[in-house]
Amino acid sequence: MLARTEPINGTAKPKPVSSPMNNFKSDLLNSFSLKSLKLKTKQQELLIRVSILCLVYVLAFITRLFSVLRYESMIHEFDPYFNYRTTLFLTQKGFYDFWNWFDSESWYPLGRIIGGTLYPGLMVTAAIIYWTLRFLRFAVHIREVCVLTAPFFASNTTIVAYFFGKEIWDSGAGLVAAALIAICPGYISRSVAGSYDNEGVAIFALLWTFYLFVKAVNTGSLAWALASAFGYFYMVSAWGGYVFIINLIPLYVMVLLITGRYSLRLYVAYNCMYVLGMLLAMQIRFVGFQHVQSGEHMAAMGVFFLMQVFYFLDWVKYLLNDAKLFQVFLRITVTFTVGVGAIALGVGTASGYISPWTGRFYSLLDPTYAKDHIPIIASVSEHQPTAWSSFMFDFHILLFLFPAGLYFCFKRLSDATIFIVMYGLTSMYFAGVMVRLILVATPAVCLISAIAVSATIKNLTLLLRAKNKVAQTASAKGIGSAKSSSKGLLDQSQPFHRNGAIALLLGAFYLLSKYAMHCTWVTSEAYSSPSIVLAARGAHGNRVIFDDYREAYFWLRQNTPPDAKVMSWWDYGYQITAMGNRTVIVDNNTWNNTHIATVGCAMSSYEDEAYEIMRSLDVDYVLVVFGGVTGYSSDDINKFLWMVRIGGGVFPVIKEPDYLVNGEYRVDKGASPKMLNCLMYDRARGVEIGNKDVKLEYLEEAFTTSNWIVRIYKVKPPNNRW
Amino acid sequence: MAISQNIATRLLLLTTLLSLFLSLTISTSDPEELVNELLFLQSQSKTGVIHLDDHSISRFLTSTKTPRPYSLLIFFDAKQLHDKHELHLQDLHREFFLVASSFILNNPDKSSTSYAKLFFCDIEFKESQSSFSLFGVNSLPHIRLVVPNVKNPKESDAMDQGDFSRMAESMSDFVESRTKLSVGPIHRPPILSRSQLGFLFAVLLIWTPFMVKKVLTGQTLLHDPKIWLGGAVFVYFFSVSGAMHNIIRKMPMFLADRNDPNKLIFFYQGSGMQLGAEGFAIGFLYTIVGLLLAFVTHVLVMVKNVTAQRLVMVVSLVVSFWAVNKVIYLDNWKTGYGVHTFWPSSWK
Repeated sequence: MLARTEPINGTAKPKPVSSPMNNFKSDLLNSFSLKSLKLKTKQQELLIRVSILCLVYVLAFITRLFSVLRYESMIHEFDPYFNYRTTLFLTQKGFYDFWNWFDSESWYPLGRIIGGTLYPGLMVTAAIIYWTLRFLRFAVHIREVCVLTAPFFASNTTIVAYFFGKEIWDSGAGLVAAALIAICPGYISRSVAGSYDNEGVAIFALLWTFYLFVKAVNTGSLAWALASAFGYFYMVSAWGGYVFIINLIPLYVMVLLITGRYSLRLYVAYNCMYVLGMLLAMQIRFVGFQHVQSGEHMAAMGVFFLMQVFYFLDWVKYLLNDAKLFQVFLRITVTFTVGVGAIALGVGTASGYISPWTGRFYSLLDPTYAKDHIPIIASVSEHQPTAWSSFMFDFHILLFLFPAGLYFCFKRLSDATIFIVMYGLTSMYFAGVMVRLILVATPAVCLISAIAVSATIKNLTLLLRAKNKVAQTASAKGIGSAKSSSKGLLDQSQPFHRNGAIALLLGAFYLLSKYAMHCTWVTSEAYSSPSIVLAARGAHGNRVIFDDYREAYFWLRQNTPPDAKVMSWWDYGYQITAMGNRTVIVDNNTWNNTHIATVGCAMSSYEDEAYEIMRSLDVDYVLVVFGGVTGYSSDDINKFLWMVRIGGGVFPVIKEPDYLVNGEYRVDKGASPKMLNCLMYDRARGVEIGNKDVKLEYLEEAFTTSNWIVRIYKVKPPNNRW
Repeated sequence: MAISQNIATRLLLLTTLLSLFLSLTISTSDPEELVNELLFLQSQSKTGVIHLDDHSISRFLTSTKTPRPYSLLIFFDAKQLHDKHELHLQDLHREFFLVASSFILNNPDKSSTSYAKLFFCDIEFKESQSSFSLFGVNSLPHIRLVVPNVKNPKESDAMDQGDFSRMAESMSDFVESRTKLSVGPIHRPPILSRSQLGFLFAVLLIWTPFMVKKVLTGQTLLHDPKIWLGGAVFVYFFSVSGAMHNIIRKMPMFLADRNDPNKLIFFYQGSGMQLGAEGFAIGFLYTIVGLLLAFVTHVLVMVKNVTAQRLVMVVSLVVSFWAVNKVIYLDNWKTGYGVHTFWPSSWK
């Protein structure tokens, strides 16, 4: 416990003076001397712990506000615009309308059933916060609530991390974990203010569920298991990543069973959590019966039945009292159950009752799958496999501490440490497969590293204290074998050891402070840009703001007929519907691959062919993003290869090699002829080399924003025929 | 009259000779017969691919009348290049066999329209150099499709790099798009044959009861935490070294320098990409610091000898310092981001 508090004592010294004022007002009246305020060690410790937690709570919140300070309070990225739009709808129309909402403004002409195809957790959470604030007579706008939801939940996550750390190791590790996770870039990347996305609340829910489950396993209490089932329900309502929970927990139970750690506590915890969690999860329409039908959830069910078998065997063993008889019985039962289970699974799969794994899940297990078969998954930049530098960027020194933490956990194996090790390793593996899953790995990495930091610093400080007061060595005796042996040495070389320990402590704190600096710097430089407003450094080092996207969307809103249909690449779909209030053909909810491929096909065909496609989709306007003038790098031309790949996946007419020159992708003069003539190219990079004199036959330019980033074209109506 | 008779006999002789000659030539190029011969050759071959040489090329290709009743898909092979692995000649050849056998399997007899319309052949460079020049092939790997009405072999369709990049599937796509014949699904042989699978299953079945017993009594390797620890550290190493990235992207271990072919590039500049060896080196650096910390705090303190203890301590400190420094240096170099560690950034 003292590990973390020791150094902070120095900075927090005035605290014991100021905060206990409330508690001891009467004392203060009697005498103003500080001596009478002296707290007992236990109280001191509690006070310091609580104040550290409070500071961490505030820190986690304010470190995510860079973007609000630098730009303004607005929603970032693409998906959050959809979430914002639905939240707005929810607060205006109420829950039932939201639940039954059919949205005709996206996926024209198909439309989308919103209530049945989204995870409502985030919207409902934000709406509840909003209603609470209104009830308390705070006049806030729903947008502010949405912008600040993610930082708020990040703060809550630190508290959960503290309790989790306390559960698996001790409260010192808990404090360190809270501090680490508060500023870890891997988590900040998805939870800055304005990043109003499912992950913001989902990581909180994930850690919360895990914590409650571990607590339930440790105590065997039905209440904790029940709480964890509700935590799971919240997670299911918030994010598709719940599949990770429903597979990790059975895996964990399985490992415990294999390593002979079966106990009644585990039985109670898992059964309650699984049965209730499943029933609750089925209330979410997007999940529904998948929970008992899809292959992704079958592991949980299998382990559930296995648990029953274990319990049954235990019971029979208790009744039989005869080892030999029991062995025979055991063999028969196990063979029988395994057989029945295999047959049931086989029949279920064959009859189509149990659906096979979905592409996203499958691509996690066999990572090469997505690249070959589902370009739409492979195209998203956050689905790329992770290179080592990304780990360094997101974890910094935690990466070095992780193996040490693993070692510490193995040295003190318990049900809880086994869980955190498994969580850490599986999520680490997934983080290696997809960049975005670093997010899921972050809490585990923080917790395991916190164990390493806390245990090491604790040892060092104990070493220091042991020398300070010989009397205190007695208390250190029970702490660990490491300490007792070091004590033996200290008689021979006290000063050297002390100095060494001080040096190491200072080094450790120096490194931790560097971690803090790194995190702040990463947050400010890399993760706080809203991507809808672009910032660049001008020639004189000043910040230049490009607000072209919003300019374009507002133009759409003001100058086009309300029923106009806009075609763009799917990245911009949510933003157009939310800010431009116009119908789009495809958006970021990539549920219909063919539809997206149609758009990709239109974008990568010659203009006349594209015109046919656009007529068939009733497109009125085409919006493209153009980086030629400003040097903006993530424009449509950079996404173009993916349009070709996705289009080619459905329409064999589109072939990737047609757009490549010698296997290279070029956009300048050396680009391939098909490339130079296709619709996308015409409109995306007219100025910059290649094909300069673009004459469009079927499209006309309607609007170009001030920095030429967004260009909107109007599709000409067909010629009059008479 | 005599003259006319003479002429008549001469004519007769000539016609018989001619007809004989013609019949000879026709017999060699009678389409029906050629197809039958090809079918025979195909059935002789184990893989369904017909091995051609200069002679048979002229027989089935150059000396035939042009709308041939069949197409030929020819794989150009060269034994002397088999040891150049970057060409993937043997891999492609194997895929080619797969397409061939799948085609034959999917079009087994006359009832299917594509039957005997397409034959898969291969040519070896050493044996038939003149055929290579006939087709104008001077680089490998090379696959050509000769459709029925191609007269000059040089005019035939060459499969380009993109068409065999996805192995057998894309080859069959290519064929289907050019010939309008259906190849059908590719039948890859399972990794384990049926009997092997049965054997494995039987072993597993016998082994299960023993296994269960052992698990229940707690005597397996699984109960040894050291094994688990080793596995855990390995998973960590595997993940952070970006091994998944290498597998998915099929990255090579290192690249040859373009400017100086004798030099090898082990580190790739630019974030989001990495080479195999690079990832493993960094993963090793990541791992070693943590393991040293664990070693120092849990094992070293048991050592009785104080000097040894100090020595190891100092060494591990230096190594950790070096490793972290190296990683940071490489990261700064690779991504261009200035990640901080030991010194303030102004100190370079």
